[in-house]
Amino acid sequence: MSHDGFAVRAWQRWLAVGLGLAILLSLPSVLGALPAADSDVGATELLEQVRDSGEVPFSGYAESVGGLQLPVTRDFTDLVDLFGERSRMRVWWRGSEDWRMDTLSATGETDLFHRAGATLMWDYEDNRATLSSDPDIRLPRTADLLPTELGRRLLSEATAEEVTRIPPIRVAGRDAPGLRLQPADSRTTVDRVDVWVDPQSGLPLRVQVHGVGSDTAALTSTFLELTVAPPSESDTSFITPTGAEFRFEDVIDVAAAADQFAPAVAPDRLAGLDRRTDESTVGALGAYGRGVTLLAAVPIWDEISRPLRDQLEATPGARIDEQGVYVSVGPLGLLLTPGSREQRSWLIAGTVTSQTLADAATDVARIPVADG
Amino acid sequence: MIAVELSKMLRRPRTWVTILLLNALPTLVAVLLAVTDLGPRPGSGPAFLSAVLADGTLFPLAALAIILPLFLPIAVAVFAGDSVAGEAQSGTLRYLLVRPVGRTRLLVAKLVSVIAFVLLAVVIVAATAYVVGSLLLGDQPLAASVSGTTLTPEQVAVRTVLAIGYITLSMLGVASIALLLSTLTDSPLAAALGALAFLIASSLLLTLDAAEVLQPYLPTRYWLSFVDLFRDPIFWRDIVRGIGLQAVYVVVLLGAAWANFTTKDVTS
Repeated sequence: MSHDGFAVRAWQRWLAVGLGLAILLSLPSVLGALPAADSDVGATELLEQVRDSGEVPFSGYAESVGGLQLPVTRDFTDLVDLFGERSRMRVWWRGSEDWRMDTLSATGETDLFHRAGATLMWDYEDNRATLSSDPDIRLPRTADLLPTELGRRLLSEATAEEVTRIPPIRVAGRDAPGLRLQPADSRTTVDRVDVWVDPQSGLPLRVQVHGVGSDTAALTSTFLELTVAPPSESDTSFITPTGAEFRFEDVIDVAAAADQFAPAVAPDRLAGLDRRTDESTVGALGAYGRGVTLLAAVPIWDEISRPLRDQLEATPGARIDEQGVYVSVGPLGLLLTPGSREQRSWLIAGTVTSQTLADAATDVARIPVADG
Repeated sequence: MIAVELSKMLRRPRTWVTILLLNALPTLVAVLLAVTDLGPRPGSGPAFLSAVLADGTLFPLAALAIILPLFLPIAVAVFAGDSVAGEAQSGTLRYLLVRPVGRTRLLVAKLVSVIAFVLLAVVIVAATAYVVGSLLLGDQPLAASVSGTTLTPEQVAVRTVLAIGYITLSMLGVASIALLLSTLTDSPLAAALGALAFLIASSLLLTLDAAEVLQPYLPTRYWLSFVDLFRDPIFWRDIVRGIGLQAVYVVVLLGAAWANFTTKDVTS
């Protein structure tokens, strides 16, 4: 073979390799850029579909990504993971009272099995099953971040005037028309919530929450795989394996504990916001507001508030004044009031402005100490 | 050609020394666990290691998880890096190509030989770990599925075989990188170190949030997904992606190795 012929063959082979590489690299972008088919469904109709989708059976795999680095102590580490990290979730949903959700990790998983008002948590790495009844008040858990749960919750109190249609995208292989919620209440720090919905089932497929003044989503949750069909009963059943520890817990987290054992009772109205009636109205922890304008207040003893105060005060951007220490993380604001003579403080948190939190701090300072 | 390369691989002492060394660390871990009765805290350490004190039959999986992140890829990089560059360094590549052997066939035979080496190493590590685990560690069958369901011994065996196959396939990317570098240099050491540098970079980028856009394409991204075979039901998503990603690495890097090697002036 001549030297020229050899050079041509070399050139042709490298060209073939380069073309192959270019095709492989561009394939995901090309597929991702394929336009999604839109639907002529209106915003109000789509909103109703979402609200009615709670009993639609399905199974799938979803991921949520939180961008909120919460400055809280070890009592709240689950919240830090939930809102600051990526969560990988498998779900089997037969209905709102019969479902299973696995949170996957590299070396194991933590599973929730929910049936008839009780939830069983299986932790592979601790080889332990924990049964608890669902309290009126609890901290958020991974299952709350499923696109279906998150989307329904955020849109549950939206009015027709607050929602508009946005262009469709493809999610989990489905064409999903979009719905945008822009809250009318000026006290909220949530700028908008975008939800893309499966038009056949009404299931939210992707949810993005944006805070005021930020182009980056504070929280995103999306299905990557979805099958709209009833899972089998065995998929949502659990039998504690031989050798594993089994226990019952009546207080599942610090929010539930505070609700039952805290030294004061939350008022009926805070910072001009009414106490919510869909959750506990008699416990210490009070939830206030409507839609995405939400506020929670809980009295805590000094032994819990002291490390939390140290943590909050050390957070960059923390503001300290006579009402306490205030920190904002994306759309979420936290205010811890100063310790009092009765050795208690109030932790006030929510998706509301700093002024609303300050008003709430003023209100709780007037609450008398509970007996006993 | 493939038979010749396989036979050469099996006859080389370094093959068996490498496999022996790969077995050494898991065996040492098993002995230490058995003597001290101190397992890692649940959730820390390699996958399945916290469970083997109770159920020694799970030790093959723990042993594979021990060697997977570092020792196995080092062995593969060294072995594949030596495949062409080693012949060039020892001056035998020229004579090898004098025979009526196509360069493409030689390259494929080298890759097959590397895959056979990985499979052999992984199977021997798993078998040794099964024997060591059964003899030294616990004998109480656990909920072998990470989802809390009890798997039958047959199910555990089938899933372990699938894990062995998956781990072998996971090494194809490393092998292809080392093989490409092996056709670019006459130094086996440079080829092996180049492949390892690539893997270290991949492992580092996996820990960096800012590199999220690159992560689905990194060769080490799906290595630990063999754990998904022990969920119930099996979670296939990442396993399928892991196999697909390794296939892309093989196609692209072996293509580059082929383009370079088949038109290269071989002088040594």
